[in-house]
Amino acid sequence: MITPAPSAGCHGCGSREESLIQLGVTPGKWDHLVALAGNPNTGKSTVFNALTGLRQHTGNWPGKTVTRAEGSFRHQDTAFKVVDLPGTYSLQAGSTDEEVARDFILFGQPDVTVIVVDATRLERNLNLTLQILEITDRAVVVLNLMDEARRHGIGVDPKALERELGVPVVPAAARQGTGIPELRDAILAVATGNASPDPLRIAEYPPEVEEAIARVVPAIEAAYPTLPNPRWVALRLLNADERVLQAVRSGELAALTPVGAVVPAGAILETAGPGAGHEDPVEALLEAVVDARWRLAPDFHDQLTAAHYAQAERITAAVQVTGLRRARVDFDRQLDRLVTNRWTGVPVMILLLALVFWLTIAGSNVPSSMLGVLLVDQLHPLLQGFGAAVGMPWWLNGFLFDGMYLATAWVVAVMLPPMAIFFPLFTLLEDFGYLPRVAFNMDRMFQRVGAHGKQALTMCMGFGCNAAGVVATRVIDSPRERLVAIITNNFSLCNGRWPTQILIASIFLGTLVPAHLAGFVAAGAVVGIALLGVFFMFLVSWMLTRTALKGEATTFSLELPPYRPPRLLQTLYTSLIDRTLIVLRRAVIFAIPAGAVIWLISNIQVADLSVAAHLVGWMNPVGLLLGLNGVILLAYVVAIPANEIVIPTILMLTVLVGGLVGVGPGDGVMFELDNPGAIGEMLRTAGWTTLTGVNLMLFSLLHNPCSTTIYTIYKETGSARWTTVASLLPVVLGVVVCFLVAQVWRLLAAM
Amino acid sequence: MNETLAVQPNPLLALAVFAVVVLVAAILAWPGRGVLARLAAMRRLTERVRLEDALKHLFGGQSSGHPGSTESLAGALGISGGRTVEVVRRLARMNLARLQDNHIVLTDAGREYALRIVRTHRLWERYLADRTGVTPEQWHSEAERAEHGLSEEQVEGLAARMGYPLYDPHGDPIPTSAGVLPPERGNALTVARPGSLVQVVHIEDEPEEVFQAIRSAGVDLGSRIRVIAIGPARVELAVEGREFSLDHLTARNLTVEPLDHDDDEADIERLDILRPGEEAEVVRVSGAVQGAQRRRLLDLGVVPGTVIKAELASASGDPVAYRIRGAMIALRSHQARDILVRRAQREAA
Repeated sequence: MITPAPSAGCHGCGSREESLIQLGVTPGKWDHLVALAGNPNTGKSTVFNALTGLRQHTGNWPGKTVTRAEGSFRHQDTAFKVVDLPGTYSLQAGSTDEEVARDFILFGQPDVTVIVVDATRLERNLNLTLQILEITDRAVVVLNLMDEARRHGIGVDPKALERELGVPVVPAAARQGTGIPELRDAILAVATGNASPDPLRIAEYPPEVEEAIARVVPAIEAAYPTLPNPRWVALRLLNADERVLQAVRSGELAALTPVGAVVPAGAILETAGPGAGHEDPVEALLEAVVDARWRLAPDFHDQLTAAHYAQAERITAAVQVTGLRRARVDFDRQLDRLVTNRWTGVPVMILLLALVFWLTIAGSNVPSSMLGVLLVDQLHPLLQGFGAAVGMPWWLNGFLFDGMYLATAWVVAVMLPPMAIFFPLFTLLEDFGYLPRVAFNMDRMFQRVGAHGKQALTMCMGFGCNAAGVVATRVIDSPRERLVAIITNNFSLCNGRWPTQILIASIFLGTLVPAHLAGFVAAGAVVGIALLGVFFMFLVSWMLTRTALKGEATTFSLELPPYRPPRLLQTLYTSLIDRTLIVLRRAVIFAIPAGAVIWLISNIQVADLSVAAHLVGWMNPVGLLLGLNGVILLAYVVAIPANEIVIPTILMLTVLVGGLVGVGPGDGVMFELDNPGAIGEMLRTAGWTTLTGVNLMLFSLLHNPCSTTIYTIYKETGSARWTTVASLLPVVLGVVVCFLVAQVWRLLAAM
Repeated sequence: MNETLAVQPNPLLALAVFAVVVLVAAILAWPGRGVLARLAAMRRLTERVRLEDALKHLFGGQSSGHPGSTESLAGALGISGGRTVEVVRRLARMNLARLQDNHIVLTDAGREYALRIVRTHRLWERYLADRTGVTPEQWHSEAERAEHGLSEEQVEGLAARMGYPLYDPHGDPIPTSAGVLPPERGNALTVARPGSLVQVVHIEDEPEEVFQAIRSAGVDLGSRIRVIAIGPARVELAVEGREFSLDHLTARNLTVEPLDHDDDEADIERLDILRPGEEAEVVRVSGAVQGAQRRRLLDLGVVPGTVIKAELASASGDPVAYRIRGAMIALRSHQARDILVRRAQREAA
């Protein structure tokens, strides 16, 4: 069916290039296009990395790759471009991921489609494999996770599978890199036409389906005589696949002739011409489809899937040996019993998470202060001196170094160390496969509020950084639950807010009790605030799923992958690159303009007062009504870009507005005092009370997400409406809560 | 900066003002029952809606052999006789219907118009069932609203995105854009042969109370019912070995087709009753699961014949992880309840 097909100068290449650009492939120099498809969590990303040498983030749970990644490699002087498609269970269910994958394989016409198959779950993976083989002949199957299968006492015979499927099968363990050279050879062979695949196709569906196919196929052959696989097209048309119907109407289907196949000159013209009968064959085809569909049983789709699974079951029985001696005697099962047990499951989870947080907070103290000393105490004066030395005017010097540089320095010093510790630890748990078990244990609580158990994980990730937490919601493949998780992620107290909480708690609450209890009370208050955040997360999830998100679709399923030994070095590397640096980069981009604004409003004078002082004056009545003050409100407005700079900005503004002399380095220059006692004294002088401290802690928990997170929410949801909801909802809550606390506090104080 | 509490309003007063604001906001914006929602509902009840509802009523009557009259129309629209006459006059002026021996009969144009509304209604129900989380009880009322507001292009776009569905989630055929409506299948449950095994092909969605009664009896589209006896007042039935009865009014809302095979379904159970370590074979996925959820289950390998083993309950008891075709898949109990299974016959082995 397939003839050797050099891509250059082939039939129909022009249209192919166009459709590739439509499908979002960046044009470039390559000889062959390779698509990577497979079920979620089959190690597809690992195969992609092993092939291309890229370090894409991989994790041990389903649904990792949502956007498509591209990479390339050279093999024997041939350049290949690899496109990593989203992991899907099927090509016909119609979710966005599945449409992306299907459209690419069908209309992108890759020279080779590599199907990554999990050797431990052969039947289910073959369901997708059979569907792909119905579309394309040019496929290579990677039988991945062979090592894991062996550990679970499963053996698969690759040669037998190759005979069954009719396409090259390469056994591999991509995590160890075995099988990758052979995979490259197989890809090259299929791409250059040196291998001639003859893929297995289901020859017999249930009689009713066959009857319908038989009605439609002649009409297809009349309209498109060169089509390589009219049976598949018939099935898609019977399933009323809009994309295929479109291709029929537009004639695009004719371009799907296998690349390089010999098309009899004028074959298409002839059949489309009047000679084929008085009726347009395309119209006749569409009519035949409608007619056949009315005769089909409503459970047509069920029957198709059952037929695929029947075939998959037959093949699996033929190629798989189970019950081999296990290297790891039921280790998974015993571990699962421990971590999901009614009595031990939750304690184990709390212990592990507490350990992660403790390591993060304790471990980032020292590097954070070192970075602070380096970037703020040492480098900042140097830069100021440099500016003066080269003759910068004071305003340029201040704008650049006191404004833009200092804000960035704060963000980096406060944000980098905790993220560099938190994310790798989290990634290790993820790589090992523990996180899906947490989702499994927690699901019931989340189910009650209409959310997904995996939200427990995105919530934990939010404790590190809300933007990263929002990105992590990609693992939730049910649309409604994913939106809930995105909107409520901000209720996780992120790294940027922990320092504010700890500082304010020790100044205003720790001092209320005897010194030996101070640390305990302060820590307790911060944990209390974090738990309050969790409470609000549940409350808001519950409210959303009963009102605004009531109509969003839900498809719950949660796969528990087998445990896999984590790879330390790779984890460190990828989590640093993927999460820490990307989040940091975005934060820095937003911090620079914030620093500029803070400096400008502090230094531009209108009627003898700085703009900042005017703003604080206007906001003060509202702030006081909420148990806060104008300085805090202004600090939160200008610190939208990054929560890290809230405290330095508050201190600077307090000095500026209060007209304190001899404190702080100057107008518009953020600073932090080394001694919490001194800060407390200064704030109390400026009129702060215990109520102000408590409400600042509450408002720090309940306010709009930082601009990095807002931007991320917009990118992830693609919806201005949901981004607005996610941004405004927490502020409204924060205002209401602070207001109520202030009034009740004052009532009690007056009694 | 040193303002004291003195400048603050009295906390009690502030709280009172706050309570009033919240109350007013709730009265205005409470979902479904607030002033804004009621205003929107009133605005929707325009002349056009009334005309279209009249067409739908006349069409429904005509296809079931009971042509509409002014009285039936007044009842269906819930308006006075005088206003009904007005509506009929307008229909006649627009050449959509005419009076014929005391009956109101649709013209060809009227029939076409009515079919388009029916198409929109049923498509929208299909959309709600497949692509949203709107509960079955609300499908009908939501569609009643949507059918008047969608343009023809929107409807065609929706049909294309939904893959030109043939049936609505209650089992009613959806007219094609050319206005073709295939004959409806099956007969009312009340005329089924006692002792026979029948399959539900249609559940009438009106009135909502009856629809709910059917659903709470555990009957869904595709359910197989053993008709035990049809008495003068009630119909005795069995579904999956569970016996119950429905009154005639309720049973008439179920349309069934006899099954040509007579597999006994008395030993069918639901997946959620399996305890960890037990296994069973899938018979089918209940018709209550539609759209994306159904396809996901099928794609995971929950197809007739699959053997599923309950492996592991979570720390809270729900969800439960099942071994399905080699993979561990956690399903919530309400999902597992929609998977019909049969335990392996161990005695036979």
